[in-house]
This record gives sequence, C-alpha cells and structure tokens, in this order.
Amino acid sequence: MPPTPPEKSDLLKGTLDMLILKVVALGPIHGYAISQRIQQISKDFFQVPQGSLYPALHRLEDRGWVKTEWKASGTGRDAKFYALTKKGRKQLETEVASWGNVASAVALILRAAE
Amino acid sequence: MHWLARFFQKEKSEKLLDEELQFHLERQTADLIARGLAPEEARRQAVLAFGGVEPIKEDCREARRLSFVEILLQDLRFASRMLRKDPTFTIAAAVTLALGIGANTAIFSIVNAVILRPLPYKDSSRIVAISTHTPMFPTFSLGLPWTDFQQIRLQSASLEQAVAYSEESKTLTGKGNPSIVSVVNVSEDFFDELGPNPEQGRLLTREDHQPQQNHVIVISSALWHTRFGASPSALGQVLVLDKIPYTIVGVAAPGFVFPEKTDAWVPLSLTPEEQHSHTYFMLQTIAKLRPGQKMEKLQAELDTISGRIVKENPEVGAGLRFNAAWLLEKRIEGTRTAYLILLGAATLVLLISCANLASMLLARGSGRQREMAVRAALGASASRLFRQGIVESCLLALLGGALGILLAAGGVRLFRAIAPATTPRLDEVSLDATLLWSLLTALVAGLLFGIVPVRRAARTAPSDALKGGVGTASSSDAISRKSRLGSVLVALEVALAFVLIAGSVLMTLTVSRLLHQNPGFRADHLLTLDLPSPYLSPSVDFEAWTKKRVEFTRQIVEQVASVPGASAVTAADHGLLGGMTMMQANFFVDGALPLASKEERRAGARYVYPSFFRFMEIPLVRGREFTDRDSKGATRVALVNEAMALEYWGTLDVLGKRISVRKDEKGGRMWNEVVGVVADARDVRLREKASPVYFLSMLQGGDISFHLLIRTQTDPQALAGAISRKIWATYPEQPVTNIATMSETISDSVGDERLRGILLTVFASVGLLLALVGVYGVVSYAVSRRTQEIGIRIALGASRTTVLGMILVQGLLPVLIGVATGAACTLALARVFASQLYEVQPNDPATFLATTLLVFAVASLACLIPARRASTVDPLIALRYQ
Repeated sequence: MPPTPPEKSDLLKGTLDMLILKVVALGPIHGYAISQRIQQISKDFFQVPQGSLYPALHRLEDRGWVKTEWKASGTGRDAKFYALTKKGRKQLETEVASWGNVASAVALILRAAE
Repeated sequence: MHWLARFFQKEKSEKLLDEELQFHLERQTADLIARGLAPEEARRQAVLAFGGVEPIKEDCREARRLSFVEILLQDLRFASRMLRKDPTFTIAAAVTLALGIGANTAIFSIVNAVILRPLPYKDSSRIVAISTHTPMFPTFSLGLPWTDFQQIRLQSASLEQAVAYSEESKTLTGKGNPSIVSVVNVSEDFFDELGPNPEQGRLLTREDHQPQQNHVIVISSALWHTRFGASPSALGQVLVLDKIPYTIVGVAAPGFVFPEKTDAWVPLSLTPEEQHSHTYFMLQTIAKLRPGQKMEKLQAELDTISGRIVKENPEVGAGLRFNAAWLLEKRIEGTRTAYLILLGAATLVLLISCANLASMLLARGSGRQREMAVRAALGASASRLFRQGIVESCLLALLGGALGILLAAGGVRLFRAIAPATTPRLDEVSLDATLLWSLLTALVAGLLFGIVPVRRAARTAPSDALKGGVGTASSSDAISRKSRLGSVLVALEVALAFVLIAGSVLMTLTVSRLLHQNPGFRADHLLTLDLPSPYLSPSVDFEAWTKKRVEFTRQIVEQVASVPGASAVTAADHGLLGGMTMMQANFFVDGALPLASKEERRAGARYVYPSFFRFMEIPLVRGREFTDRDSKGATRVALVNEAMALEYWGTLDVLGKRISVRKDEKGGRMWNEVVGVVADARDVRLREKASPVYFLSMLQGGDISFHLLIRTQTDPQALAGAISRKIWATYPEQPVTNIATMSETISDSVGDERLRGILLTVFASVGLLLALVGVYGVVSYAVSRRTQEIGIRIALGASRTTVLGMILVQGLLPVLIGVATGAACTLALARVFASQLYEVQPNDPATFLATTLLVFAVASLACLIPARRASTVDPLIALRYQ
C-alpha cells in the first residue's frame, strides 16, 4: 500500500467517512469532485489521497449509507455519482453529534490545563 | 442481499471500478492541463499523484466486503491454478496423503469394528461369559451344568440376569429342500437380556419355557428371507427339526445373531437327568453384571459357589472353578495382537507419508519464494498471502483426503472379501465415522505442512526475496542436515518396499506352485457333496442302523449314477483335501516293525466304496480294490497306502497282513486282512505329502458321515441341481450339503496362503508408491537447493547430460543402500518364514533380481523428473535469481 502521511491517517480514519458523507449530503457528486470539494472547503487542509478515498466510498456504498448512479458527466465519459441515503443521513447526524462531544471534551481539558 | 447480486455481476463491477478510477485520472489530468501543464506532463503528474491503481482497486474490492463465499471462490480458483501448474507435485502429494489417510482409515475402521466397538447387544459392556474349568478335562474351557447355572443365577448378587444356551445342528425337513440349520437352545430371559426387538411376531417369553408349550421357535431374519421369502405368512408355520415340529412365533431383528451365524432359537429343554447332573457341562452361559459391579466381585462370588458345589458333590472333583470373562474379550480372543500389528503398520505408513509430504512441501515452498515476493510487491497483503497459502494447502489436503477415502472404502471391501470366514465380527466391519476423522486429519496435515513455507515467505520482505539470496537463512549445515535426513528416509522407504515386494512375490509363487501341485488323483470334472446322516435315534441299535446305512449307500450311488451327465459315482466317509481327516490311534497292526521311538502309532482312516481308487485314478500298487463282495458277513478286508506299508512293515508286499480296529461284543479283537496297496495321494492338505492311511469298505461298516463323489462329463456345477433332486426323489428328508467341485476345494485349500499373498501385495504396492514419492520429494528438494550451483556448472561448460547424470546418481545412491538393506532383511525374514513357502527357496534368485530391477526402475523414474528439470536450467536465470 502506498504510505500515507502518519498524522493524516490517524485523523482520517475516523473522520473521513463523516467528511465524505457531509460533502455527499450537499447533492449528488462523483469521486473526483468529492476530493476536490473536501480540499476546497477545508482550505487545502485535507488532501484526501485516492488510496483512501475510493476504498472509503466503496465501503460507504456497501454499508448502504450512500447510493450510486452512473450519469453523463459532461466530459464525454460517464461518471459514478454518489448520493446520500436515509440511513446515510442518520449516520451523518450520529457522527456529527459524537464529533461534537469529542470536540467539547477536548476543549474542556485544554481549558482546565491552563 | 446485495452480495448475491454482486456475486453474479462480478465482471461488470470490475469494469465499472476501472472506469470510475479512469474518470478520476482524466479529470485530474484535465485540471492540470487547465493550470497550464503540457498534456504528457499533466498526465504523468496525475498518475503519480494517483498512486498505484492496482492496490487501490484491491482496497476497493476489499472495502466492498466481498462475501465470504466470493473470497473463498477467488482463492480456490487461484489455488487450483497453482496446483495445476505443477502437476507432478500435486499428484505426488495427493497420492502420499491418500495412502497415509486411506490406510489408516481402512485399518482403523476394521480394528474399531472388531476390537473396539461394543457388541451389538443391549448393555453389551456389562455382559460376561462364564465357563467352567475342571481337572477332568484340563485343556478345555467347558460350559456349565444346568444345576450349577441355576445356582449362579440365583445366588450371585452382582448379576442382574443370566441365561444359558447350547448350540446344535439340526436337520430341517418339511416344506422346501431339506437342509442343516444351526439352532440355539436358550433358557428364560434370553431375548430380554440381549434386547433386540423382533422384526415380525414376538420373541420367546417365560411362558414358552413351560414343558407343554415349548415347541415354539424364533427364526433369524436371514432364514426368514431365504426360506420364506420374507413373507409375513411365515408366522404360525411349522418347522420340523430333527423330526420334531416347532411353530414359528417370530422373526428376530435383521442383523441379530447370537452367538454367531444362528438360524433359529428355541426354548431350552433338558431331560431330568441333564437338569440334575453336575457333570453335564454343556451349557454356555452369559450373564449381565449390575451397573457398577466389578468383575472381581463376580469372580469372588463364583468361587464361593463353586467351593460349595464341590463340598456338596464330591464326584465333581476338587478343581472345579467357574471363570468369568467379558464377552467381547472371548469373542476376539487371540486376534487382538494381529489387529494391533495392523494398526502399527498403518501408523507407520501415515508417518512415512507425513515425512514425504513435508519434504515435498518444503521443496516447493523454497522454490516459490520469488513468486510470493512478486505478489507482495504487487499489493497483496501478508494476510492475503497467508490466506491463499492456507486455501491452497487445504485444497491439496482435501484432494488427498478424498482419494484416501476412496482407497479406504476399497480397502475395507477387500478385507471383507479376503478375510477368513472365521474372523470374529466380520459382518460388522464397514467404513464408519472414522471417515470424518480422516478428513479432519487431512485438513490438519495440509494446514500444518502448508503453513510453514507460506509463513516464511510472508515474513520475508519482498525486496530481499527479489534481490536474491533465498532469505531462508539456511546455513550449509542445515541444508546438508535436511538432505541427509531425506536420504535416510529414502533408504528406509526403499528397504521397506523391497522387503514387502520380495515377500509378496515369494508368496504368490507359493500359491501358484500349490495350485499346480499334482494331488495324486484325477481332480478335474469332479463334483463332491456331503449327506449328513439323519439323526441317530437313541432307540435304534447300531447294527441294524449300519445295515440300513449300507443299503442307503448302495441306493444313492446307483441312483446318482443314472443322472444324465454323470459318468461315474463313488463314495467315502469324508472328502479329500478338506483340511481334516480322521486320525486313528487305536488300531493294531499284525507283524509290524517295532516302533522306532516312544511315539504312538497314528494313521489316517477312511471308509471307501468299491472302485473308489479306480474312480479317483489312484494307481493300485499291489493286490486289489474293494468289490461288491466285500460286504457285511464276508471276510473283513482293508487296504493301505504305500506310506503305511513302508512305515509299518518296511515293504510294499504286505498282502495278507492284518489290522485290527475294533473289538467284538465279547472283547476279542476283530481283524481285517490287507488285500491291496494303493499309491500315495495328497489327502488332508495339498502341501503335505501323504502319511500312512488305511482304508475299510463302506459296505462292511461305516461312519455317520457320508461323502459322495461324482465324475461329470461337462461342467460339474451344472449337475448339482439334478443330483440333489434325484436324491430327494427317494429320500426327501436327506439334507444335501457342501456341494463343491474339486477345483473349488483345491482353491479353498490354499485360502490362507492366498490371503497372505494378497495382503503382502497390497502392502507392497503401498510401500512402492511411498518410496516413489519419497525419492521424488527428496530429489526435488535437492535440486531446488542447488539451482545456483547447477547454473554455475552449466555456465562453466558441463553438458546437460552430465548434470542429469549427476542428479540421477546422487538421487539413486540412497536407493542403492535401501535395496541392499532390503535384500539383507528379506533373506533373514524369509529364512524365518521358510515354512510358509512351498517349493520356493527363501533366497530364490529370480525373485531378488526381479524385485531389485523393479525398485530401481521405479526409483529412477522418480529421480528423472526433477533431474530433467535441473538439466534444463538456464544458467543465466539460475545465477541471477537464486
């Protein structure tokens, strides 16, 4: 497997799914656009390598959180578009909620150490 | 159930995956071009940034949580492809496993059925057999008298139940052909104790044992099928046994036989004398211990009872003792060692198979390190390699296991066909649950031996393996140790194979020589049968009965001679080459030479019909044969064979000498005059030369048994039916038994030797196959280790044939040692077993030569395959990649 930068892989493990779901929630989108969008919105902080993105996308599809459709992409080749399912929407809400808890807890500890 | 749909759309989804990734690449490239890069540069950067496509595809596929079945199928496909690539290895490994597992399964099934499995009766683990020992008949283990049996039954606290039985042969007449059946007389509760449910009707109960009601009978399922065609109307019909009618009340469960090969059971009925006698040791006894009771307690109780009986009945004799033994033990008495030896042989085969397999798999493993490395570099994870390796090993193991089961089934069938009929519990031998154990063993073996090379390969970093240096860290010491072990293994296997092959050849020669032995009489076109005497009613006096018997004999011979197809008929009291004869010691010889040693005089005795010897085409050496005139009332005459004449009188001119075998009513000796001498013929066994025999005329006396011999014009077997019918036309109640042609009898008489020959041949084949595979494995391993060295040699100018020769010679060296060892062992063993051979020398040179040639041929073949592979090594490749 091509090596991933260590800090990114730790973070992305838990959160990549969540980020993808969030991006997909904004509307049907194909894989390339997802990686671009994540990079854009995070102001270049998250640069998701293809080696992580596509396996994650397929995993999400396998779990039924996203559904896919092949559509014309406007560039000649057909592309695979991902959209959020109802299950996916629920999963996104759950993950966002728990991410919020994690963030609050970390903030509490950091404030205490001051 | 998306996985099911995906399963069928695998190819399509592969294409789609590819398209998805290609799309990404194109868009990336397009964006880079838009940013100002040249198209090729844009493409190159896009590809670089993308990373390896294959690994990503792999991960996507894995991320899709391919169903277990899909993964398994994928691995199986891959594994079978790998195995197909090297067919010699696959076949060799499968055969080795099959041999090891097949032999073990077969033999374990057999041993299980005969020795380990409990007898098929209710609570059989608690059943004991009780017998009597008394100094009156010191060498025998006797049954119990009725009164002693009753005492034991009532007074022994540790017994739950006890039954007595006696077995006898009775003549069955009435509807259908008369025949002899084996009937067991049983006491109360017999069926209760042994517990089968009847197939039809009912079993014997307490009431049936009342004196007025005891003419009922339960027949065996086999008899029900043969005699009554399994029809329910059999119930209520009457069977006449020894002229007494019995009503059939039930049919026993199929497969129930007690004690062995029984046709029917009737209530035991004894006369009052028999019931009260303390010396009527005729009843076999089996009893059931109460749960939890120990044998020692029972034995102590039996000793108490026997002590009391001896005290109260002094005529019994002080040494009377009752012995209790587990029924199972009694049944398999004496055969236990033979079976344990078989088990040991099978284990040996298994061990050798495993060693073979290990050496082969090691050779293969080291040769595939590069392949593993390449696969790892292409993106296979260590766990994936591991998993595929395991699947491959399991596939191989299952292949070997399946073959092994086929072998085992065949082996069990062979055993049932060739084992002598007296083998205990032969009917119960079958392939059973040990089958599952074998499959399990196969899997475990495959896993164990397959994992080692895979683990090693999986742990090696791919770059090391690709660079060269096999990375197995085997020092030259380890290598030579392994190959020395391998050579020792080969030598052992070859030696073993040699011994077995030579033994099998010697035995087969023995059988062949026996079958071609001239028996001394004309044996072709000869049909024989026995006419067991109708029961001897106690009221008939012996003389009158003899007269009737002589008349019977004349009539039978006359009648059967008139059957079309029968060219001649004669009779005797018992048949030739039956393995048995009547040995007599109580006879007196007039004018005989003094005995050389203190031994008793022994000779065979035979009653024959007039013209018996002309019929058998046994030459007359002196005097004349019996004729019609040698009948009751005329001078008592006798014939002797050459052996007897020479041994007792030292000459063949013995006409007029006298023999005495009986005393008359007044106690005086009755003398028979010798009127002729006949040539020696094989009498008891084909392999034994004739011993002294004297002959008496059937018209002057006789025995209970009656043996009829018919010379036929065509196939003897074809006449059997017509002859039986002719006999029954006049004597409808005469059972006709043991119908056989002399050829069959001769063939049966070598049954023991044939059995040994077959067993040896089977084991020899197994041994040879194992040796073949062993040589192959060891030489393969050696070649794979020395690929670099061979490459150097070829590069330095050695010709391919030189390399071939080198490998061959080094591979055959242990074989040579094995052959020499094997030959020495065979010589030693053959001398020990020389008595088993017949007209074959233990050091028969033709046998040794043939065996040596065979072993070398096979071993050379086994060496040839890897040797050829070695000689075709491209030196460049060999030098570059170790």
